[in-house]
Amino acid sequence: MECKEYREQFTSLLTDSIPQAQRSEIESHLEGCANCREEFESAQKIWYLMGEMTQPEPSATMQSDFNAILSEFKKEQKVRKNLLDEWINKLREFLYLQVQPRLAYSLLLVAFGLVAGYFLHQPGQSAIAYNKQIDSLTSQVSEMKQVMMFSLLQDPSASQRMRAVAYTEEIDNVDLKVIGALFTTLNEDPNVNVRLATLDALVKLADEPKVREGLVRSIDLQDSPLMQTAIADVMVRLQEKSSVRSLQKLLHKKDLNEMVKFNIEKSIQRLI
Amino acid sequence: METLSDNALMQKVKNGDIDKMGLLYERYHRHLYRFLYNMTRQKELSEDLVQNVFIRMLKYNDGFQGYGEFKTWMYRIARNTLYDHLKKVKNTPVHTDVTEYETKIAGEHFSDAQIEKEQELKLLEVAMEKLSTENRELLVLCRFEELKYNEIAKILNTTEGAIKVRIHRALNQLKSNYLEIDH
Repeated sequence: MECKEYREQFTSLLTDSIPQAQRSEIESHLEGCANCREEFESAQKIWYLMGEMTQPEPSATMQSDFNAILSEFKKEQKVRKNLLDEWINKLREFLYLQVQPRLAYSLLLVAFGLVAGYFLHQPGQSAIAYNKQIDSLTSQVSEMKQVMMFSLLQDPSASQRMRAVAYTEEIDNVDLKVIGALFTTLNEDPNVNVRLATLDALVKLADEPKVREGLVRSIDLQDSPLMQTAIADVMVRLQEKSSVRSLQKLLHKKDLNEMVKFNIEKSIQRLI
Repeated sequence: METLSDNALMQKVKNGDIDKMGLLYERYHRHLYRFLYNMTRQKELSEDLVQNVFIRMLKYNDGFQGYGEFKTWMYRIARNTLYDHLKKVKNTPVHTDVTEYETKIAGEHFSDAQIEKEQELKLLEVAMEKLSTENRELLVLCRFEELKYNEIAKILNTTEGAIKVRIHRALNQLKSNYLEIDH
């Protein structure tokens, strides 16, 4: 080891925090190295001198002062504990006095409610009344939809008229008035799309013989190839044999689209 | 009667036997006083701080976990109390108490050797005061409180090796302070 490393151990030597073997090694180095010895001795001198410094004694009253603090602390602790107990007791008392009658009262109320409910509740009557109400509301809504439909059918916008046609699907019991309005649209509406939508709506009502008749009559009135094809398809779907004559008549129409002609011929074949 | 260990006493305090703190006080208040006096050099303040340390130990006895040594815990609280105080008075000038050496020298008759020794002690005291709080604390704990490296390490929450190096440096600093004043 070099002198520097030995010197780092000097303090540990003074504080006696070094194993014996290392201690002997340092001591033997000190015997041989005058510089290190001088260095160590100056540190040692300071160390011993520190040990001789007067250490003041605390005043004699300190212990008794602390005993007073301690008993004060104990008293405080006790008071705090008592205070806590007191609060717990108060709370208990409060619960006993306040909550018990309230609990009884609320139980009584619940019981009263149950009894009153039992006597007041007569299931048959109220259910009927309820259903009646629902029925009247439903018919009102249906009426409203009809009115809406009629007014929308007069709308200049094609999309609004299509909405009106769509409404008919939501009307529960379609009457003649509605069917009449639909046929007027089917035969006279300037927009092909509206007419197509109306055709769809009418097909759904095809159980009605009046509707089928109306559809057959409508064949003559259609001049758009799209409508002609669509209505021919509908006839096939409905297997409406009475339409054959109208369809044949359509075949003789002037400037009939070739494609439509082909389609209608096919439809007629399937109908016969 | 069998004397109870520090830890056993403190455990009793924790369990509500507050009187046992009186016994711990008896054992340690001088040590704490010495530590705090050497750090502040004010007698009355040191006495107040000692009382504060014990009050803190009473109030915050939850902090004593039982698996560490009572002494280490106590010194930690003492340091906290001390540093709280130092922070509070950071900007106020500190008046330190007059040392006893002067009065002794003035009042009685001494041999040359004794007078020289008193002189040296006086110098050392000045040299100590010139140390940083950190270094002074290390030397006070090691030399005056006679704590072992590993105990100091636990109090300062560091390793024994680090404490060994730091104390060595602190002593060297004290030595050079001393030599500087001496010349």
